Amino acid sequence: MPITYLLILSSMLFSIGVYGVLARQNAVLILLSIELMLNAVNINLVAFSAMFGAEGVAGQVFALFIIAVAAAEVGVGLAIVILIFRNRSNVDVDEMSLMKW
Amino acid sequence: MVDTWQLVVFWALFAMMGVSALRVVTSSNVVHAALYLVVTLMGAAALYVLLLAEFVAWVQVLVYVGAIIVLMLFGLMLTRAPIGKGMFDNDQRLVAAVTAGALFGVTTWIIVDAFEGQKITLSKATGIRAESIGDVIFSSFVLPFEVISMLLLAALIGAVVIARRD
Amino acid sequence: MDFVAPKIALSGIAPEIALAATALLVLLADAFIGDRPRTLRPEHGSARPGSGILGNRWHLPLLSLIGFGAAVYLALDAWDRVDATGATTQFSGMIAVDGFSVFVKITLAVFGALTILLGHEYLVRRDLEEGEFFALVLFSVAGMMLMASSADLIVTFLALETFSIALYVLVGYQRSRLDGQEAAMKYFLLGAFSSTFFLLGIALVFGATGSTNLYGEGGITSFLATTPAADLSLLVLGAGLLIVGLGFKVAAVPFHMWTPDAYQGAPSPVTGFMAAGSKLAGFAALLRLLDVVLFPLRWDWRPLVIGIAVVTMIVGSILAVVQDDIKRMLAYSSIAHAGFVFTAVIATNDRGISGALFYLATYGLTIVGAFAIVAVLGGPEERRTRVNDFRGLFAAHPLLAGILTLLMLSLAGVPITSGFVAKLVVFGAAVEAGYTWVVVVGAIASAIAAFFYLRILVVMYMVDAEVAEEPKAVMGPLSIGVIGLSAAATLVLGLFWSPLIELAEKATFFAGP
Repeated sequence: MPITYLLILSSMLFSIGVYGVLARQNAVLILLSIELMLNAVNINLVAFSAMFGAEGVAGQVFALFIIAVAAAEVGVGLAIVILIFRNRSNVDVDEMSLMKW
Repeated sequence: MVDTWQLVVFWALFAMMGVSALRVVTSSNVVHAALYLVVTLMGAAALYVLLLAEFVAWVQVLVYVGAIIVLMLFGLMLTRAPIGKGMFDNDQRLVAAVTAGALFGVTTWIIVDAFEGQKITLSKATGIRAESIGDVIFSSFVLPFEVISMLLLAALIGAVVIARRD
Repeated sequence: MDFVAPKIALSGIAPEIALAATALLVLLADAFIGDRPRTLRPEHGSARPGSGILGNRWHLPLLSLIGFGAAVYLALDAWDRVDATGATTQFSGMIAVDGFSVFVKITLAVFGALTILLGHEYLVRRDLEEGEFFALVLFSVAGMMLMASSADLIVTFLALETFSIALYVLVGYQRSRLDGQEAAMKYFLLGAFSSTFFLLGIALVFGATGSTNLYGEGGITSFLATTPAADLSLLVLGAGLLIVGLGFKVAAVPFHMWTPDAYQGAPSPVTGFMAAGSKLAGFAALLRLLDVVLFPLRWDWRPLVIGIAVVTMIVGSILAVVQDDIKRMLAYSSIAHAGFVFTAVIATNDRGISGALFYLATYGLTIVGAFAIVAVLGGPEERRTRVNDFRGLFAAHPLLAGILTLLMLSLAGVPITSGFVAKLVVFGAAVEAGYTWVVVVGAIASAIAAFFYLRILVVMYMVDAEVAEEPKAVMGPLSIGVIGLSAAATLVLGLFWSPLIELAEKATFFAGP
């Protein structure tokens, strides 16, 4: 299988994730888009790891580490989301207008 | 023959993941968005199996789909996001689409340029098994492994501090 | 397959281990001997009866300080060893033990200790929990240290995430403050977003070179030495994405959007820590990556970094002028300072590296003091941080006004302060490398920047009949100590800079393949 196919899939998912982060308003939905981007990176790493054969085991290990870090990030992120929700009963990023540059 | 079947499965996954990823970022229903993300993540897991990365595939299913998405759904429900139709997009969708399109174009161009014609040959003999992943994690990657434990502890403490009620 | 146990030498990461262990001890001690009254809510400035400012809550800060002391001791120990035997890598090439990392680690430990001192007083006055705060500061300093000495992009990423996650939480630590919550949210979302770019960069570098290791066998350095420059476009793209990810952490334009919000919403001791620590850690990784490992690719990445440097200096300085809030103003000023450090990065010579180290060390010492002053004047929820709230400060607190003057002059880069020497060093390195025009842009940006530092000074010394509310400093011995220390460091390093510069020059040796 040509590796470019996999890499194109990955960069497609990454770009869709970027679109989601820029176009969404709800913090949880932005978080979902970030997960898309992380997955795109993981597909990249596993594809490269398959390309390098036995030498490429680092790619798979790194993909595992990224999954662990994603779990930690989501945990902290949702804690912040819940903290904000308690005070203003919505989590829209654009409505946070206390601070503008 | 095997190659052809691999390609057929790949393109099916490609279509499935592409469509569901688009729905994640455009759906006007938050729960649907989260469920479409599940479809994308399961597609990624299937792709890992296709690439003979079984261990990563299972971790993907267990941790990503099993834990992270459930956490997300909890988040959506605890914040009482309107279940059903709602407007969750801001007014810069065009800018976002142009940015994403440009990023896709540039990365694809460079990637195709760099890897034109290179093929992955997949066979049982070259696949990386869980055993060798374990070996590597506990030999050359033992330090990153330990650092992750520190990271998870910091995240745990942080989440407790932030979400605690006074 | 036989499992071969790795050879473990702990000396390279001994400071990090000391900090992580201290964090655990702090959490344990907090559970057993900490006292956390949740019912008494004293007014700002009047601590609980019988508890004083050190009172019965001195265990945890003392423990944390001992941890930082141990980290400095262990780092100095490592310095002696690398000085004798030369730079090495440890943990299968994951960690570089070299002069550069030791210098950065000691500086970071100093910043962390100052943050503990300020944080203790800040938290006691507001009756917030201390144990978790100290633990998170310790964890994040450990992450920053690891970032400075990481010799593998995987470790760099994990270290970056460790200190970032701790900082997201510290920014929103004062949960009752609405702007703090928003700051935490924005910092978190943008931080996670930029991390994915950093990750994509690592993935592409891995795809291009087959390794994420910087120095090891088959690592990036040896790959660059053996591969013709023509087929490196993927590596260049990966390096560009790495610069984006790290540029976010050091608050470079155009990745700076989080900075003013996070700096304003965070508790001031945390803001000072972010300005000093995460900038130093980010630049440490950038310097190792760009000026050492990717040195053969310098003609490819340099245009991008020059662009970032120029835009960062100009935009940071101009936007600082229009700010009304002193914390936002210092945030934009910190952006401009990141631009000045970038001029040392593009020099790619030893003078640039030692100059950047000197710059970041002196800037950190100055900015921690500046935010300490903001903390003592800001009131319980830091509402009194507008420039006009400093009206009449000289009349109310002449000594504090004098020290703030000194710190502002240092940030502006006026002679006899450390900021002047630091600018001279980094600009000198860039001129030596032939980038005089960048330095001219930097000088113009400094001139613009001088406006807003002067604005604060003018407001401070203005004797005005219309002072609505006199600035009132609420400070205990710890704040006074940190502010005094910062002022002393700013002045002394402005007059006798050569010992520190010589140390930084001695520190510019790196582990190699």
